[in-house]
Amino acid sequence: MTDNEIINKAKETLGNIAIEITNPAPRRIFLKVDKKDLVEAVQRLKQGLDYNFLSTISGLDKGEVFEVLYHFTNEFAVLTVRTTTSRNDPKIPTITGVIPGAILYERELQDMFGLVIENIPDPRPLVLPDDWPANVYPLRKDWKYERPVEKIPGGE
Amino acid sequence: MAEFKVPIGPQHPALKEPISLRMTFEGEVIKDADMRLGYNHRGLEKLAEQKTFIQNLYLTERICGICSHSHTTCYAQGVEKLMGIEPPKRGLYIRTLVAELERVHSHLLWLGVAGHEAGFDTFFMYTWRDREVVMDILEIISGNRVHYAMNALGGVRRDIDDLQKKKILDSLDLLTKRTAYYANIGTNEPTFVARLAGVGVLPKQTAIDLCAVGPTMRASDIPRDVRKDDPYAAYAELPFEVCTANTCDVLGRTIVRIKELFECYKMIEFILKNLPAGDIRVKAPRRVKEAEVVSRYEAPRGENIHYIKSNGTDKPERLKVRAPTLANYPATLVMLKNGYIADIPLIFAAIDPCVCCAERLVAMTDYHTGETNIVRMSELRQKSIEHYKRVNPAKKEIVWPF
Amino acid sequence: MAVLKTLLYLLVYPGLLFLFIYSTFAEWFDRKLYARFQNRIGPLHTGRSGILQPIADFVKLMAKEDIVPAKADKGMFTALPVFALAIVCTAAMYLPVWHFEAGTASYNSFPGDLIVVVYLLSLPTLIFFLAGWHSSNFFSTIGGVRVLTMLFGYEIPLLLAVLSPAILAGSWRIAEIAQFYQGRPVLLLPNIIGFFVAVICLQAKLERVPFDIPHAETEIVGGTFTEFSGKKLAFFRLLSDIEMVVGAGLVAAVFMGGFPGGLIWGFIYFIIKTLIVIFLLTALRAACARIRIDQMVTFSWRYLAPLAVLQLLIVIIIKGFLL
Repeated sequence: MTDNEIINKAKETLGNIAIEITNPAPRRIFLKVDKKDLVEAVQRLKQGLDYNFLSTISGLDKGEVFEVLYHFTNEFAVLTVRTTTSRNDPKIPTITGVIPGAILYERELQDMFGLVIENIPDPRPLVLPDDWPANVYPLRKDWKYERPVEKIPGGE
Repeated sequence: MAEFKVPIGPQHPALKEPISLRMTFEGEVIKDADMRLGYNHRGLEKLAEQKTFIQNLYLTERICGICSHSHTTCYAQGVEKLMGIEPPKRGLYIRTLVAELERVHSHLLWLGVAGHEAGFDTFFMYTWRDREVVMDILEIISGNRVHYAMNALGGVRRDIDDLQKKKILDSLDLLTKRTAYYANIGTNEPTFVARLAGVGVLPKQTAIDLCAVGPTMRASDIPRDVRKDDPYAAYAELPFEVCTANTCDVLGRTIVRIKELFECYKMIEFILKNLPAGDIRVKAPRRVKEAEVVSRYEAPRGENIHYIKSNGTDKPERLKVRAPTLANYPATLVMLKNGYIADIPLIFAAIDPCVCCAERLVAMTDYHTGETNIVRMSELRQKSIEHYKRVNPAKKEIVWPF
Repeated sequence: MAVLKTLLYLLVYPGLLFLFIYSTFAEWFDRKLYARFQNRIGPLHTGRSGILQPIADFVKLMAKEDIVPAKADKGMFTALPVFALAIVCTAAMYLPVWHFEAGTASYNSFPGDLIVVVYLLSLPTLIFFLAGWHSSNFFSTIGGVRVLTMLFGYEIPLLLAVLSPAILAGSWRIAEIAQFYQGRPVLLLPNIIGFFVAVICLQAKLERVPFDIPHAETEIVGGTFTEFSGKKLAFFRLLSDIEMVVGAGLVAAVFMGGFPGGLIWGFIYFIIKTLIVIFLLTALRAACARIRIDQMVTFSWRYLAPLAVLQLLIVIIIKGFLL
């Protein structure tokens, strides 16, 4: 299936859920949906277009909004579904009902960006240590890392 | 028979890198397994936002030692697409050559590790002896045994001359013969096969649901390979086959890797015989216009995917790396259930864990003193041991299993 | 004079000094051969071609700090290695190398000493289990359980296999059995099945690959020996070596015709025959992977025990023909 065929089929299956579809490079398709339609879109893509393999979920801190990209791959093209959620109310529904393998990526998003994934089956932090301070989200743009002054024991 | 919980890791001789598996046992059978990640965090994604694109090339290489070329190639490919430049054919071919050599050395390493986990030390010594042949070739080409630093943004850094070509082709004969011998042992030695067969079964539909990658997935009869689906570098012109097995267990994964070794030898021979003449790199611009790219690569362990977004400066806005081992973790948990204790090292080794690939997020803050510091691995290990002693004192009282 | 000879027997040859030196030599032989099978070099620098390496390891372990876990039983921890070593050294006394008379029974050679040696060699297994049980560590407990499970697998075939030449020779005394076969070497051939069963069971008793399940390094850290360190661990490792020598000596005495010829020739035969058995053990170790505990028990009851019984039947039939 060529890129154009996939785009046409996606437009058919998703109807008016798809806000915008772009094709910036061969075998790379980017699709924007609203966050309330996310699970529905993923479900339809899985059944209609055979996109059942999720490669990863990327988070992006764009200032006032968080953008979340779901990268789906199959043997024809990489289809990336993007949604946005506002910084003040960073909630996203989970897609583990449709794709069970998304669980680890969603947990990582929760840790790193502070997004709240609704109905996630396993909300434990994945990659940060247990004594990490709460409400500190490392991958947000406003978290700066500063190296502490090195203390030399017994020196000046 | 009472149940009891046991930690495997973070420090355990079966694990080459720290990862914590919490298992619930009943006798010798595993009833439930849980994984605790994060011991190998090094803060790479945040760090990458503060370094330029060229500096990030060296940063991504150091994500892993065994599959270092996979990360640099994936990153370099992505950035080249962002910049809109296309490396010359010869550069792409040399990139593919090093990629296949890396796959050979990684699979031989895995065979040895599988042998060692099964107690078959002779097999381990033999495969690693042959791995030395590959390491010597890589040293001839690039000057290093690991972290080859062959990639540049726009091509490769070093060229191959005829003497090197001849040396590589000679070693290929030796490697093909020896791999045939290992294929024989791997499938015929009764004690070894008894440890591998029927262990760590991952049914086909579960593998698809949990999005497993690499040989783990191909051993469950799913013929997916990024080199065929989404050809990058020189793979569009290389003839090769995707190797699968249908036994869905550790023996299947061994067979898939051995078959891939044979395919690698054929590919390397094809590349060397058909190496086009020309330049090996083009010049890359310093600043990159605003765009985003998704780059995929078939590392020895599975699909490696990088998402890079640039914002018009010379530093990336976001670099997201998803290494193959992370995708295989949920599948590992399923494989561990209803297995035996004695099978834990083999099941875990069968996904070819490269834990340092799988974890690369931010540096640690010490909660009690409020200091932020770069935590060395030894300190992190010590902290996790102490932490788990505090959090789970119940583990000190072990219930006698009968 | 007799007292001097006895003292020499107990302390020098084949007593403690000889056992210590020879078992370290046997360990060197085993390690060097294992390395050569794997295309490696093995011990090289200590002494000429590494021959002092096992002694160096022993001395290093004796010098290390001795840590006993807080919850473990200190008395048992200290006593167990010493007991085990004493037991195995006692078993070595009964091998017919020297200082025995064919006709009379003495303290080191009497009818029934075959059973005594087999019994003494099975006691270290119980001691390993106790060692694992008394370390307050989950991995040691599992190791101890596996040690006992393995005992159910290999002990019976070993006993049956070792008994067959005794039945053919018509005596329960190792010295007499050896003498019988020295007189009629042809009769060693019917015992060949028993020989191989005994070698495999010996490998299981010594807990070497393919049967090193109780202290499988990649699975349960150190098994029964996880919490032992310093002098205690040194004693356990020496115990394994001496057990190897004694086991090899037993198999050689019973299946290969013993050690005839008095002091000098007996010594040479002992070295040669035990080294042949150790060679077979090492070859087995280099060629196999580790099998699981359930596979091991199935293997011994499905193959080893029936073979041992078959051997017994063959021997009984031949004995019927001979008499």
